[in-house]
Amino acid sequence: MTQHLPILAIITLFIGAFIVALIKEKNEVLRNTVVLIATFMSFIFTLMMYKPIIGEGNIITYWMGNWEPVQNWAIGIGLEVDQLSLFFGLFISLSIVLSALYSFKYIEKETGKDKYYVLFLMMSASVMGFIFTGDLFNMYVMIEIMTFASVALTAFRNNKPEAVEAGFKYIAIGSIGSSLILLATVIIYAQFHTLNLAQIAGELHNNYTITTLFALALMVVGYAVKVFAVPTHFVAPDAYMTAPSSISMLFSGIVNKAAVYGILRVLYVVYQSMNLPSVQFMLIFWGTVTMFIGVTMALAQHDFKRLLAFHSISQIGYVITGIGLATALGITGGLYHALNHTLFKGLLFLCAGAVYYATGTTDLDKLGGLAKRMPQTALIFIIGAFSISGIPPFNGFVSKWIIYQASYEAGYAPVTIIALIVSVMTLASFIKVAQSAFFGQLPKEFKNVEEVPLSMRVPMWIMAILCIVGGIFPSSFTKYLITPAANAVMNSAKYVEVMMGPEFASKFYNNLGNAPVIDYKLAGYWQPIAWLILFGILLLAFTLVALLGGFNPKHFSYSDEEDAKYDVFYSGESAEFSHVGGSDLFWGLKYQFRHYFDLMHKIHNGVVNDYALSVVLTAAVVLLYVFTFVR
Amino acid sequence: MFEKLIQKGLEKSAWLYHLNTGSCNGCDIELVSVITPRYDAERFGFKIAGSPRHADIIVVSGPITSQSRDRLIRTLAQVPEPKVVVSLGSCPRSCNVFNGSYCVEGPLDKYAPIDVSIAGCPPKPEAIMAGLVRAVEILKEKRRAMK
Amino acid sequence: MELLKRILYILFYPGLLYCFVGGLVLAGIDRKLLARMQKRVGPPIWQPFYDFFKLLGKETIVPRNAAKRAFLAAPVIGLISLITVSLFIPVFKFSPFSTYADLIVVIYLLTIPAVALIVGGSASGSPYAGVGISREMVAIISYELPMVISLLAIAKKVGLELNNGIMTFSLSQIVEYQAQNGPLFTKLSMIPAFIAMLLVIPCKVGSLPFDIAEAEIEICEGPLVEYSGAPLAIFKLNHAIKMLVMTSLFVTLFLSGSGTGILAVDAILQFILSIVVVFFSITILKAITARLRVEQTLRFYWTYPTALALLSLILVYFGL
Repeated sequence: MTQHLPILAIITLFIGAFIVALIKEKNEVLRNTVVLIATFMSFIFTLMMYKPIIGEGNIITYWMGNWEPVQNWAIGIGLEVDQLSLFFGLFISLSIVLSALYSFKYIEKETGKDKYYVLFLMMSASVMGFIFTGDLFNMYVMIEIMTFASVALTAFRNNKPEAVEAGFKYIAIGSIGSSLILLATVIIYAQFHTLNLAQIAGELHNNYTITTLFALALMVVGYAVKVFAVPTHFVAPDAYMTAPSSISMLFSGIVNKAAVYGILRVLYVVYQSMNLPSVQFMLIFWGTVTMFIGVTMALAQHDFKRLLAFHSISQIGYVITGIGLATALGITGGLYHALNHTLFKGLLFLCAGAVYYATGTTDLDKLGGLAKRMPQTALIFIIGAFSISGIPPFNGFVSKWIIYQASYEAGYAPVTIIALIVSVMTLASFIKVAQSAFFGQLPKEFKNVEEVPLSMRVPMWIMAILCIVGGIFPSSFTKYLITPAANAVMNSAKYVEVMMGPEFASKFYNNLGNAPVIDYKLAGYWQPIAWLILFGILLLAFTLVALLGGFNPKHFSYSDEEDAKYDVFYSGESAEFSHVGGSDLFWGLKYQFRHYFDLMHKIHNGVVNDYALSVVLTAAVVLLYVFTFVR
Repeated sequence: MFEKLIQKGLEKSAWLYHLNTGSCNGCDIELVSVITPRYDAERFGFKIAGSPRHADIIVVSGPITSQSRDRLIRTLAQVPEPKVVVSLGSCPRSCNVFNGSYCVEGPLDKYAPIDVSIAGCPPKPEAIMAGLVRAVEILKEKRRAMK
Repeated sequence: MELLKRILYILFYPGLLYCFVGGLVLAGIDRKLLARMQKRVGPPIWQPFYDFFKLLGKETIVPRNAAKRAFLAAPVIGLISLITVSLFIPVFKFSPFSTYADLIVVIYLLTIPAVALIVGGSASGSPYAGVGISREMVAIISYELPMVISLLAIAKKVGLELNNGIMTFSLSQIVEYQAQNGPLFTKLSMIPAFIAMLLVIPCKVGSLPFDIAEAEIEICEGPLVEYSGAPLAIFKLNHAIKMLVMTSLFVTLFLSGSGTGILAVDAILQFILSIVVVFFSITILKAITARLRVEQTLRFYWTYPTALALLSLILVYFGL
């Protein structure tokens, strides 16, 4: 049974997609049930793998059609789920379930819902397939399905011209990325005559040739396009903005994460470039640039979802930096941040979706004061915003803190400094959203908006609670989820051994299967529970003091009536003249960096040719770098 | 115990909000001179606050013009209790030389009860200080009535 | 017994009572010194107490546009966070909860009061508050850069000597280093960082040349514009405590030493040093400067203090 779990987790989603395609528009309840069951089953199957894989430290392999390797030569497609795959699989399948739950109400008013769900399930299935596979070509196939499903979903609201445009951009850039990956796959196949990851890893061990380096560079750039790392990120804001929010959440939560997984798997397990300073430097530099440009671009946005999209880019920068550090601490931080990013960015996209559902717009200049009408969404948004800005005790803080420590310990002081500043700028742009969407003046046309329905709030609450839990119990999260995954990254010999058998692996590796013991030499301390207890005691003491005297509840006055006393003070003017639009905030910053922002404005010009060119240019630069420095 | 402290606080720390409803600026300058080193009203805890929400004493200078009337009423309403309204100079009492102008709506007491009136055109800083000290006493009385 | 001791710490000495009294006295001393520099008599040292209790006795108006809960909860959260941070800062060798949080955590916890101010102001729905929070945010971005670099320099410096070259963010290790080798500001490489941090404090506590967020003349005290009564009192208290916490942190980072070992003496010494720091970094600047504009603040912090802090970091890497 255990052996079949990976394929079951993938195939339920695919079967669900086909059933939904058969149901079409005929029966809505049945269709929704199928979607929910398919996603939920997939989640359960993934969860069931927790005990054998992370609990007992095994690796599950599965040969499709029982095509097992003959004479140490893999011919069939193999699935291999190690701790790293499972770590990604767990939160990816969770966010698929939540997104499906959210979709039911959210896209209720749209047309073509059957196609939405088919594509949704195809995308989810392909991501699950991507992370559970042990086959290089299968990885390409899955990422191709994923890209095309994403493109179609981006253009789902095809009555809007922006959506179609975004879809077009996505397909152009995405195809370039996919073809780079395909080319790399072909080269590797030509070199090794096999597509099995484990076998390639074994053959590649301490055996770089110019051909494999070429493939490495192409592969890295290909996945960087999928991850929207900086010079290839141009399509991301458009795609995230125009896709329905439940899909934007999946874009940042699973599509991006799949590509991160791809980079990790290819670089550290297949190529075993763990100890190559040149590769580390490339990733760290790339990640740092990504996080900085992402966040500064986010500061200048005035559309809720576009802003979130740039933050997605920026946070992925943290993940890449953490991974690139290649120390135990760095990989822990990177993986933890990948998990956290899925949680809080999904949460924020769902909040944006809730705002869109209630008001019909995500333009920050038009919104305002929604906290009065949608208190729960506002609270959830605040939780998400604090998590992403790294305010303790939410989860974003812990992972960022680990990344700071890791980067500074590894001697990359500028990276630490930039990461810290980026974190503050993240806070700044979310303050902007809070001010101009949820607080501030409520425009007249939104006087009657209502809180979103329960089925949309439940997924948001689940993620919000996970955000808090992840921040309060960081040590259990690292112990039960992230350390095993980080161990798996650092121990590629085990991966090869389990897949291909010990006699194959011992040809290449001297010592098999004994994982390097990860020693978290944390230089600092952070005990959120202790902090919370102190906070609680002080709150109690404060309340006692307050009750003893001083605070007279009679002196609190609050009223909803039209009374000048309860107007906001605007130098005596009546309240309706006072609204500060979202794009008016942060004047000082924008003024001081106007040259930088002008330059960025010019670069993000919306011409697909230029974007494609920048991808090609990136590929060229990376190729040059890899050929020059990687040995 | 807290009540005593609050009374003491009101006595020693009254914050002013200065509202110009069309004054010629003479009184405003005199009010500013009260917080200069020479007179130093901060000795007694007087401080000019930025927002009516923070104020205890509202100092109104100038006749009420048609432009400033609504703004005056709204701003006065926004001051939390207990509050004291002080008229500074002759204009808020009698409109002074502006009386009869097309844009002057009338004296301050048409729109709000005046607690302390400081006379003069403009009043001397000493007179303003004396008036403010009187205002603080009224403030304390109002706080007692508020309980 | 241990528990009782801890509760005493939380409620009295580095906790609630000390923050309340110490913060307000520090603010009073600051105002008195400022007045004396301007040749005024100035308010009594107890003036902040009078202000605080007066505000408690005032009516609290919640504007119609405000998000009520966030509006009322924000000051309390800010206050409690500040007091909690105060518990983590060692007083010479004495630190009640030193292994609960390190330097980076303390810096992040110190942003919570600023965020509380921002959220509270934002929740009030006032346009002045909107402008104020945007300025506050720019101020945070401004001072964060030099502050972070200075702290990294300290971490590296202490780590180089105590931890075999690996940096340390542990506050107790920093204190221990200073107990062995004398205060950090006597080290050549730390002098630029010392000056940079001295310049960071006024912006962090929002005092004059950098009080762009709460400019009462331009934007009616920005985020605080709609606050009245008890919540305003708590925000004013936060302001005073922030001054105390920041200066205590500064004393701990740069001016700490072996101390005397007697808690009461050390505490008084720490407080006196805090007054000295307030005098040099807040009061003098307040007396001699006028308010900067937003973008001038940003430019100032990202040039001179940042350059000083970087110099410090580079000197540390050279082993000075």
